[in-house]
Amino acid sequence: MTLYPDNLENTPVTNQIVVRCRKGDVRAYRELYEAYSKAMYNICLRMTGQQADAEDVLQEAFVQVFKNLDKLATDSSLTAWIKRIVVNHCLSYLRKKKVHFEEVGEGEYEEAEKVDESEHAMTVTAVKDAISQLPDGYRTVINLYLFEEYSHREIASLLGISESTVKTQYMRAKEKVRQLVKIKTREV
Amino acid sequence: MKLEDFIQQNRNAFEEEGPGPGVWAALEKELPVKQKARVISMMARHWWKAAILVALVANAGILLIFLQTKKEVAVVIPEMQEMEQFYTTRIEEKLDELKRIPAAELGLDSTTSKELELRNETYRMLEKELAGNPGNERIRSAMIRYYQMKLELLEKILDEHHKYNNDANNSDSTPLIRKNVI
Repeated sequence: MTLYPDNLENTPVTNQIVVRCRKGDVRAYRELYEAYSKAMYNICLRMTGQQADAEDVLQEAFVQVFKNLDKLATDSSLTAWIKRIVVNHCLSYLRKKKVHFEEVGEGEYEEAEKVDESEHAMTVTAVKDAISQLPDGYRTVINLYLFEEYSHREIASLLGISESTVKTQYMRAKEKVRQLVKIKTREV
Repeated sequence: MKLEDFIQQNRNAFEEEGPGPGVWAALEKELPVKQKARVISMMARHWWKAAILVALVANAGILLIFLQTKKEVAVVIPEMQEMEQFYTTRIEEKLDELKRIPAAELGLDSTTSKELELRNETYRMLEKELAGNPGNERIRSAMIRYYQMKLELLEKILDEHHKYNNDANNSDSTPLIRKNVI
């Protein structure tokens, strides 16, 4: 299942839009934006947690996308390329907010992995709320893994930390979500 | 259920609406190509308007220097009245043509428009000089120079205006026929 307009594969339509953009067709820029803005905005919203900040980051990212379309290799996935630009802009936004993606010890990772996942019923709202309440570092890791579908290795490279740290942070984040969802569903 | 599975199965429900219209509005202003094209188009359309005032001021300056020069004038002077008649008719024609163009489309400021009038300050100065020295060849030559410069400038303005309008609208508006006045 994907929410992106053309999966990760380029289609004749997306290729055509890129060609038209490169020629300076303003309408093509608009079409490109229309095709991707919703999915990319959702990434920004998940990563920043703030509507206004998400819009700012989205705008900055699209400026980069438009400026650098010439540099996109013909055999590269347009979706993956745009998504990477958006994610990088989100990460620099978080870094500006002084969010540190820190290394953790191996032992903690082992411990975190033992979490029991056979849990009660979850709701979308409860999961959403729980993720939004996570500290920025945890939220980033969980979003990149669960929603943006990057591997632990890719996340490690994006954040400049080790893969084992990503795994540990992910397990901790997931445990935190589980607890928050539990509280939330009990309240309801 | 595992969190991963739950999110995977309900992926669409996690999506929010798209961004507000303000994002595109801001982006539109920063489109790399459009901005470039707009600057070029602005330059193409307006460079000569900025040049007019410079030309008018320079012309007045040249005439002043011309008046003060003792050097013999190379311009052949026809009968004064005939010459005046010739130039003023053509200048008035061009000014009329210019006035028919909507001010907003032409985009000339008031200082420039005033300078373009037939009897501007430079003209009055020359007229005064000529009245004081009716037989002075240098003043008469300066007067001819004044007419020639004004006529050329007006033709240039109209030419540029028609050229731009033809390019922009791809229309068949009447091209200006340049008259060889010299």
